[in-house]
Amino acid sequence: MKEIIKITVGLTMTCLIAAAIMGGVFIVTAKAKKHNEYINFQENMLKLLGFDQKNPAPESLQLCTVYRYLIHQDDQIFLGYMIPVQTSDDSDDISYQLLLVNTQGQFLKKYDLNISLTQANDEKDREKTITAVLSSANITLTFADQFIVAKNGGQRLAYLLPGKTPGFKTHINFMMAMDASYSIIGLQILEHQEDPGLGAEIEQEYFKNQFIGKDVERLKTLNVIKEPLPDEQLRFLERKKWIDNEYPENRISELQKKYQPKDICAITGATISSVAVVNGVKNVATKFAYRVKVLENIISEQKISVAF
Amino acid sequence: MLEEKKSYSHIFLNGIFNDNPIFRLALSMCPAVGISTNMMNGLLMGIAVLFVQFCSSLTISLIKNYIHPRIRIPTYTLTIATWVTVTDLVLAAFFPVAYKALGIFVRLIVVFCFITMRLDVFARKNPVFPSLIDAVGMGLGFMVGMIAIGGVRELMGMGTLLGYDILGFRPLLFFVLPASGFFVVGFMMAIFNYTEIVYNRRKRARSITS
Repeated sequence: MKEIIKITVGLTMTCLIAAAIMGGVFIVTAKAKKHNEYINFQENMLKLLGFDQKNPAPESLQLCTVYRYLIHQDDQIFLGYMIPVQTSDDSDDISYQLLLVNTQGQFLKKYDLNISLTQANDEKDREKTITAVLSSANITLTFADQFIVAKNGGQRLAYLLPGKTPGFKTHINFMMAMDASYSIIGLQILEHQEDPGLGAEIEQEYFKNQFIGKDVERLKTLNVIKEPLPDEQLRFLERKKWIDNEYPENRISELQKKYQPKDICAITGATISSVAVVNGVKNVATKFAYRVKVLENIISEQKISVAF
Repeated sequence: MLEEKKSYSHIFLNGIFNDNPIFRLALSMCPAVGISTNMMNGLLMGIAVLFVQFCSSLTISLIKNYIHPRIRIPTYTLTIATWVTVTDLVLAAFFPVAYKALGIFVRLIVVFCFITMRLDVFARKNPVFPSLIDAVGMGLGFMVGMIAIGGVRELMGMGTLLGYDILGFRPLLFFVLPASGFFVVGFMMAIFNYTEIVYNRRKRARSITS
């Protein structure tokens, strides 16, 4: 009996000390980790827009995020768009509004959200503010997705769409950029666990760049073909690796036009990963194109001065 | 006590050669096969394991008199788990690139049997300083093994080393796939054992002639 008590006390003590150490380290590192994830996300967005260290983003570049929520109330489902709006016509200050939309795409109500810009980056803060503003019981809030509008000096540069698709092993996280006419201008693979040498080739330029120039109509029927990439196309897709002046502007647009109707060539030995990425891109792009039209209609009907 | 007679350098080299965790003890083979697809992963994993082994050995040799002998294994597991969690959090916060490459394998260090084995066999019975030397030796032995396997697999599979193009082409893609890990580890183990046999034979021959 004495033994048992001794062992119990010993193990409990060990667990408590271990928990204290882990908790302490977590408190110290939690902030840095969150910051890292945010920086990483930001960097990928800038990369998609074509900015890097050599070619830094202009200061007038604005990234406005629109969050979409599913709101369950009793038996009904509503969509909640959390959009950044300008506080007055001539200032750049941004506040947030929540648009309540039913599943048919009809506008129901709008709310002003009392949330600061830095708070809006935090998922918990967002949910708290939205639940507070809806102020009725039995509401469940589910985060659906988000998209980012890149704006430079009153002009929309691109829409950035993060997405997720089931790959060969786990989910593949990606982000794509679409221009104002909804054709793809870039694709980035953020996170994946595919096999090195096979599925991991989805990170390569020659695969990602095949998507560039495809518009929503083309994406609807986009397929994966099991054919090797022609040499000319391969060289064109990887043109950043070669000398700068090999492809002048007009040659780029000419080749872009030539390959625009073409399907995506699968990676050798990694058809599943290739199909996964294509399906993910298709899915995100077509749904986005539909949703953004609905949202634009509402915004112009309600005369909301959005920040994007 | 046998251990006291051994010199520090002997304890240190023991972990790298005689008791090399991968090639001699054949312990912790899952990371050796799983993430040694390139040299960088091997190096990072080696550093992470070295850190965990060092801290765990330090902790256990400090508190060895307070551990109830019947619950020593749970205590080791808790100690290792704590340090692995610390490593995981620190990597995620301050070395995001390394964290991305290692993925879930950092958390797997908890079940690396050679760390538990070292705590039970050595740190429990020895003072702090020799335990630390043993921990560093063991960790380095593991690191050397991981770097060697990773180097061979990267060179043969992708034609690169540490990401730099060496061969300019890809000899055999098979080497970066999971199954090849077993082949590479097996062959390296054979080479390791063979060199030791040859070395011992020469040593014996020399002592006979002299």
